[in-house]
Amino acid sequence: MTRKTFATFAAVFIMLLVSLLNTDNALACLTARANHDHITIDFFYNGSEVSVRGISDPDVDLVVKITSPDGHQDLKEKGKVAGALWMNVGTLKFEDTPNLYMLQCTKKPEEILSASEMEKYCIGFPALEKHVGISPVESEADRSKWFGEFLKFKQSKNLYFAADGGFGPNPDKPDQHGYYMKFAWPYQAPPGDYLVTVYAVKDHKVVETATSKVTVEQVGAVKALANMAKNNAALYGILSVLSALGAGFGVGIVFGKGGGAH
Amino acid sequence: MHLYLPVALTSINVLIPVGLGLAVGLLSGLFGVGGGFLMTPLLIMFGIPSTVAAATDSNQIVAASTSGTYAHWRVGNVDFKMGLYLLVGGFAGGLVGVQAIKILNAMGNADFVIKMTYVLMLGGVGGYMLYESLTSMKKKQVAEEAPRVESKLVRLLASLPLQTRFEKSGVTHSLILPIFFGGGVGVLAAIMGVGGGFLMVPVMVYILRMPMHVVVGTSLFQILFTCIEVTFLQAYSNHSVDFTLAVLLLLGSTIGAQIGAVFGRKLKAEQLKIYLAIIVLAVTVKIVFELTLTPSLLLSLGGGH
Repeated sequence: MTRKTFATFAAVFIMLLVSLLNTDNALACLTARANHDHITIDFFYNGSEVSVRGISDPDVDLVVKITSPDGHQDLKEKGKVAGALWMNVGTLKFEDTPNLYMLQCTKKPEEILSASEMEKYCIGFPALEKHVGISPVESEADRSKWFGEFLKFKQSKNLYFAADGGFGPNPDKPDQHGYYMKFAWPYQAPPGDYLVTVYAVKDHKVVETATSKVTVEQVGAVKALANMAKNNAALYGILSVLSALGAGFGVGIVFGKGGGAH
Repeated sequence: MHLYLPVALTSINVLIPVGLGLAVGLLSGLFGVGGGFLMTPLLIMFGIPSTVAAATDSNQIVAASTSGTYAHWRVGNVDFKMGLYLLVGGFAGGLVGVQAIKILNAMGNADFVIKMTYVLMLGGVGGYMLYESLTSMKKKQVAEEAPRVESKLVRLLASLPLQTRFEKSGVTHSLILPIFFGGGVGVLAAIMGVGGGFLMVPVMVYILRMPMHVVVGTSLFQILFTCIEVTFLQAYSNHSVDFTLAVLLLLGSTIGAQIGAVFGRKLKAEQLKIYLAIIVLAVTVKIVFELTLTPSLLLSLGGGH
């Protein structure tokens, strides 16, 4: 081995070592776990609480995002008719849009991430706006207006949420650098699978991600009724009518027996 | 205490639907209206999707009108013959109405047509009832003038074929009349999620000239069967009946209907008409406000009007 070749090998080895050490220092161990990864909907369900906890490097910022899979939604658009009356004037189609989008960051996302990174990972409502397809719209201003209305609509149902702060140490790992935060889970979120993604952010870039899952499922009588309404609609309709007739007669007979009123 | 609704996919405090049911059931027993024109918007206001609100309301009206019809039948206030002819029209109208929903939803200005028709009908009916009742209470001689004003209508109705006597109501009419108006009510019940009582009661009072106490019982009888049909069709075609919500509503409405029937017997016919007119006009004003004030949200879920 010549002196020149040895020098080259040594340089490459040192670079690799520095690189590995650097990675270890910054983000060796980002983990994510949702405490409530299987939410069951029974008759007394009124929403839940999902906490996300894990271990992260001490000098990174964190972004926690919970989303449902992208889909499409048709919403009625209200407009003025005859210059004075507000009513539904058409349907707007929203493509590639999650039904639920919840975001919590250690700081404001625009302070810790570059615009391109926010767009790449769909972090924050401005990035989501670029991700979502809206039709029919006439101009970029029109598109922006209807995304704003879409946001208001979703926030009114507690399905879209974004905030910063609220992170604390992980109670499970007091001796390590951990994080802990919680979301109020809205009862409006329908059954399905939701993806929890935790992003470690350093120098305005996402340097590591970790994921977890939350499943929401109807159980027991709630599930049986929902299934019957969908899959045995005729039987469900007949039972609904018979129950109402029975209740009406039952109360009528009880009041009739009680009373001098009639 | 909150309860989760499997079809509406929402959670609601049980006191809300039970309380709403009680209030609307009271009106049902008092005036012979199903109360859908009040209940459906109230349910939407409390977060129930519009399609589920309309369909489930039909289901609870089945219970309230069963309870109310039973109470009125016990005191002989139901004209079954008139009710059956109204039903023939009502069933046909219900089938037409369910198909009309699909056509109207495909039309761009369906919402405009439905809401304007609603405002004009409610406003017209409520305004006329209030005017007529107040005038007849104030001036006794109006009672003598009224037949002259309506004589053209009376003559027209008397000239129609298939005249028959309705003993319980003490009137004679063509069979075409109850079938025609029952059909109109059936269409409205399916499209708007209402029983149509607020239209049927004035029709029976002013056009069919039936006595008020028989009108209330017969209207409830007709609404009962119309809503049975609409409930089944909504459950079968649109999967939009929430049985759990319906049970909560009918817990209140069946009892409310009984209390209403008791109070109704203590009120005079003119008083009943005035109160019903005021409620109908109040709903009209509410709809007009909704149409003219800028809504807080410019987007809504599809399917409703």
